[in-house]
Amino acid sequence: MFQGIVKIVVQLIITAALAPLVSGIIKKLKARVQHRKGASVFQGYFDLLKLFKKDVVVSHNASWIFTATPYIYFVSILAASLFVPAIPQLFSFGFIGDAVLVVYLIAIGRFFMALSGMDTGSTFTGMGSSREMMISALIEPSMMLVLFTVGLNPLVGSLSFQAIYKGFAAPGWGFVSPSYLLLLISMLIIVIAETARIPVDDPSTHLELTMVHEAMLLEYSGRHLALMEISASIKQLLLITVICNVFIPFGSNAGVIQALGLYVLKVLVISGVIAVIEINSVKLRLFSVPNHAALAFILAVLGFMSSFVFGR
Amino acid sequence: MMLKLMDSIKEGFCKDIIKTYTVNKNETYIEVSNEAVKRLCMFIYKNIECSLINLFANDEREVNDGFSVYYSFAAKKEGELITVKTTISDTSVIIPSVTLEIPAANLYEREIRDMMGIVFEGHPDMREFVFHENWPWDLHPLQKDFSASRKPPFENRRQDFVRIEGSGVFEIPVGPVHAGIIEPGHFRFSVAGEPVINLEAKLFYVHKGIEKLCEEKHFEKVFFMSERISGDESFSNSLAYCQAIERIAGIYDVPERAAYARTIFCELERLYNHIGDIAGICLDVAYIFANGQFAMMRRWCQMLNEELTGSRFLRSVNFPGGVRREFIKDKEKIVLPAMDRLEKEFSETVDIIKSNAMFIDRVENTGVVSHTLAVELNSVGPAARAAGVHDDARVNFPYAAYDKIKFEVPNHNNGDVNCRMNTKIEEVAQSISIIRQAVELMPSSGGIIEPVESLEPYKHAFGITEAPRGENCHWVMSGENNKIFRYKVRTPSFCNWPVLCHAVKGNIIPDFPLINKSFNLSYSGNDL
Repeated sequence: MFQGIVKIVVQLIITAALAPLVSGIIKKLKARVQHRKGASVFQGYFDLLKLFKKDVVVSHNASWIFTATPYIYFVSILAASLFVPAIPQLFSFGFIGDAVLVVYLIAIGRFFMALSGMDTGSTFTGMGSSREMMISALIEPSMMLVLFTVGLNPLVGSLSFQAIYKGFAAPGWGFVSPSYLLLLISMLIIVIAETARIPVDDPSTHLELTMVHEAMLLEYSGRHLALMEISASIKQLLLITVICNVFIPFGSNAGVIQALGLYVLKVLVISGVIAVIEINSVKLRLFSVPNHAALAFILAVLGFMSSFVFGR
Repeated sequence: MMLKLMDSIKEGFCKDIIKTYTVNKNETYIEVSNEAVKRLCMFIYKNIECSLINLFANDEREVNDGFSVYYSFAAKKEGELITVKTTISDTSVIIPSVTLEIPAANLYEREIRDMMGIVFEGHPDMREFVFHENWPWDLHPLQKDFSASRKPPFENRRQDFVRIEGSGVFEIPVGPVHAGIIEPGHFRFSVAGEPVINLEAKLFYVHKGIEKLCEEKHFEKVFFMSERISGDESFSNSLAYCQAIERIAGIYDVPERAAYARTIFCELERLYNHIGDIAGICLDVAYIFANGQFAMMRRWCQMLNEELTGSRFLRSVNFPGGVRREFIKDKEKIVLPAMDRLEKEFSETVDIIKSNAMFIDRVENTGVVSHTLAVELNSVGPAARAAGVHDDARVNFPYAAYDKIKFEVPNHNNGDVNCRMNTKIEEVAQSISIIRQAVELMPSSGGIIEPVESLEPYKHAFGITEAPRGENCHWVMSGENNKIFRYKVRTPSFCNWPVLCHAVKGNIIPDFPLINKSFNLSYSGNDL
């Protein structure tokens, strides 16, 4: 029992400490490409501190949903992150809680965020909500399919993340298969769409008419905004962690310190990959996003089929 | 052709014409009675290939007992200006509107209603245009008896937008304060889901009263006002003003060194504007690499401007009669290498963006302006040239040293964001070539200014230049004691705002910023 609590606390600390850094690194890389110096990679932490100190302004037209959403979103994402720990040693719930739970914990947060967008009656937040719902309806099936296929792998045979970690952790290249490669690419597309990054959304835009995720947050301020922002970066880290531990499982069965070091390294590498994708692509036309999502889904389906054909 | 037209006008309107005269080589004025003005405008518009480039009123009660309304048509291919003038004794006399027949007249007639109080009968939409809901409806600031220092009472009228009704149609109000650091303007979208059914722009939040403030000021002082009409078009605007003043003073050719210097600065202004626009297009589709590149090149251009003139926006370079100082002398070694460096970097970056399929997918077929629309609303500049209107004031009304320099005017036909961007890209290449030629052809000695000493009162002239955003058309009338009696400014932005509103229809909301940026119109230049 006591051990479980320690594990939870350690996992929470790792998540909170690393999440804003990932965004900071991506921003820094993008700035360098634009011939800018860019803000420090730790700027995300300062921004959060500043926001937590500031007052909250709430619209007169807002209901309890608006004020409750930041907490619901934060808690649901944080809870989801406990089921996808940084290293296998940090599993604290045993076999309880599988991939379906994680996907739907994320969905709860999103559901409330979309509601809060419509709650204040502001035009931009409402547009953001409708767009976010469209994108998530397109992306969620792919994510489920990818995780199901991984679970179907004979090395795993379960949807629990603990079983998935364990199944792939065997040394060597045993986890690599045609379906694995297809799923990895599909997962990358999913991560980019889910974390509101170019080409699906632009996290740094100032154009209220084109925003998706940012538009939903327009009415938030102070600690509410801080919670929404930190939740978004935790969600991003969570999805990157899935890639790190499921698709690049090297060294996750090593000692705690070594495994943690490797984990941080993998997170940084994937942040770099996301930054490179962002730099080289252009935001899609909103109505082309379904094509992009279809690509992720087709890859996931192909991965699913080939896992039957090749048996893994 | 002009002679033939004038003959047929004299024949058809012999009873109505009060007098005709030609000044400044290519400006023909036809004074006509109130009843015949609409018929004459229609006759000119139908019989020759021309467009309505300006429509303004002038309070001439001190001079000839009444308000005059001027309809300026430009036969752009011939380089001729025909202005129909009619005088009414009082604002209660009603003039028939020409908007239904000549759509370009729409906003001018509304502007005159607000600023001068002249009502055009039969105009389909006489809502307030320049005025906002807090300005008294019947207080017309451009009338001479209105004092610019007067503070009018606040009113609180209700202002209506065009209402689109139907199930699932929503209105989205955007602005006047925007998320980016841009000028204020309110946009009212009517949408069904994401597609835009109608867009109405409400501007004039930064109305500064430039036309009013210029009246009764010495013409040298008004020059500084003209530089401040629109921040990034300082040079083109001041050049249009200087040309008008020079024509009034009878100077048709400024010293050759000044003419070449003006050409170079015009193109330097075009360079930094166009490159900035392309950077903006890239930023709005989140293409940060290309944005960084073009933003850097824009700064290079502005640094060059600063090195040559001391002003990144080319202020205080012009002066009526020429240019102020020897800005270009012995600077060839700075200008030419800067052009080489810019050309190399620019063409390399353009190659990269044009081979990015995702980027091309965003800009192609977005915000299409049809050829008919561009012609009917008298769209100008790159926006018009992207829609198959092959007009450029540098060719049609050659000024500075453009008649001695070889250059091509790009022409595209699709009228979408891609065409507007390509037009600007090609114009950048042409500007670089023009600057090189001008530096080479510039005579090594000679004067740079032929000062305008004094202005004869009550003479008037047009000043037309091709600003980066398109054709600039200023009209100046001198007053007594070298003062300005009336300064009418029409910037390209005034012509292109309604075109933008039409271009957005049928596109989806998230594409609006991109379409807007491909026009990149000036709010300040429109609001005056």
